[in-house]
Amino acid sequence: MNLSYRISYVFLRNLYSYKRFIVPTFLVSLIEPLFYLITFGVGMGAYMGAFGGKPYLHFLVPGVLVTAVMMSSSFECLYGTYIKIVHEKVYDSLIATPVSADEAVAGDIAWGSFRGLISSTLMMTVALAMGVAPASPLRLAVLLVFMVFIGVLFGALAMIVTSVAPSFDFFSYYTELVITPMLFFSGVFFPLDNFPGWMKTLAEFLPLTHAVRISRAVFTGEPAAGTGWGLAGLAVLAAVVFTVSIRMMRKRLIK
Amino acid sequence: MNPERNLVTASGLTKRYGDLVAVAGISFDIREGECFGFLGPNGAGKTTTVRMIHCVSPVTSGTLTVGGLPSGIGNRALKKMTGVIPQEINLDNDLTVHENLVIFARFFDIGRREAKARIGELLRFVELEAKAGSKISELSTGMKRRLLIARALINRPRLIVADEPTTGLDPQARHLIWQRLRQLKAQGATLILTTQYMEEAQQLCDRIVVMYQGRILKEGSPATLVEELIGREVVEVRVPPEDDARILAHLTDFPCTHERVGDTLYFYCRDGHGLMRKLLELDLPNTLNRPATLEDVFLKLTGRSLHE
Repeated sequence: MNLSYRISYVFLRNLYSYKRFIVPTFLVSLIEPLFYLITFGVGMGAYMGAFGGKPYLHFLVPGVLVTAVMMSSSFECLYGTYIKIVHEKVYDSLIATPVSADEAVAGDIAWGSFRGLISSTLMMTVALAMGVAPASPLRLAVLLVFMVFIGVLFGALAMIVTSVAPSFDFFSYYTELVITPMLFFSGVFFPLDNFPGWMKTLAEFLPLTHAVRISRAVFTGEPAAGTGWGLAGLAVLAAVVFTVSIRMMRKRLIK
Repeated sequence: MNPERNLVTASGLTKRYGDLVAVAGISFDIREGECFGFLGPNGAGKTTTVRMIHCVSPVTSGTLTVGGLPSGIGNRALKKMTGVIPQEINLDNDLTVHENLVIFARFFDIGRREAKARIGELLRFVELEAKAGSKISELSTGMKRRLLIARALINRPRLIVADEPTTGLDPQARHLIWQRLRQLKAQGATLILTTQYMEEAQQLCDRIVVMYQGRILKEGSPATLVEELIGREVVEVRVPPEDDARILAHLTDFPCTHERVGDTLYFYCRDGHGLMRKLLELDLPNTLNRPATLEDVFLKLTGRSLHE
């Protein structure tokens, strides 16, 4: 792979472009967590009693944090990148400079991850305001680092989809058939304990399941079984997905 | 700078996309400091060729060197010394005029202070100082094309590749761009131009190649090609084809060649006046004598049917 510090130039380009959209995207990023936390956390939580001795919100927040990262970085690397390739031709002008196609793609994945970090930070701020806080400030810091990693994972995964997308419509397959089901089968909103055995096994193959479990363990400070292996698995998956995404995008960009 | 030195050398250069042969084993040399033109109808392989020269498209087979280095996707040294004025306006619409140049300067590792100086200079060069803070959507097509030139010059390129740089421009904007390109050449840059406008090639190019279906049909300076393939003058006679035999019989002894295209009979010759005098004897209604141009060469070489 042809990667260097020039990735930061691509990131910088996105930051310049983002300046004009900060207010609207911040609003959207704030509305989404409020929506989740109020409807599910407060509304539904009222009927759910205590989860492991704490209000439902404490169960919900770590899962929703990861979900927000997944959503933001996926959408950025699906729609954002597609627009930059097909409509705005940003990639065409980029690869004629010393910045390589690999760096352009890596820069966009980094950007997707950053957008994920913004979303989760905003959500964390709302959660803190509602009195739901991680067990310690150190855990908060670790959590944010983990969000960056999750952003890269899902950004790169989305990039693979973008590399073969003939049009915008193609993305609905991915969002409807992969992202949305994952949201409900990964233990974000309720524990997986009551699923039948085969569904539990299936859930173990979803990266979001592990991401949520790790996020929750870090957030609450209560160790959970399988987080070590889960993290190792996610790291391997991220490395593979990142490599594949760059190779496939290279095919799309260099003709 | 040595005018005898070749900056770009291609030999048996080929580009295939699956079964489609876009460039079919062409060879050419581009000398340092000259303006070299690729002419040809749509789909002739001009853009594909220059894309290989500026390292954004891999070579299928054959050799291609720029400044002695083999051209290749990963060749940052070549990309650093090349400025590209693309055919398609691919300015960054999310950024202002000034920001477009700032970001491009970063891509080329140009330091902030140096970038600032160059951007000021380049905006003056393309007469866009007043638009520095404007959005791209607020620019006219001519301004966008000028900004593309400024952007291509941010790295002070030794080689400038201009792929149909004046498409869609009005005469004023087109002439301004021609002047700027000539100025760059005068400053010592080597210029590679692709165009479908014969006047543009005649105005700018020292040497041209005419491409058709991935091959080079002819190579030479615009003036020599015209002289060699057409002659000095063209006489157009707009008469129905039934009259051809009568006119040609009248001109049997006159040194010229002819071609019938649609409603017009074309004569290519050196002595246009003499030919006109002969034709006057026939008292034909629509006769026109004009100097031969590159357009005649182009049409003669690539045919007159539509290329779609």
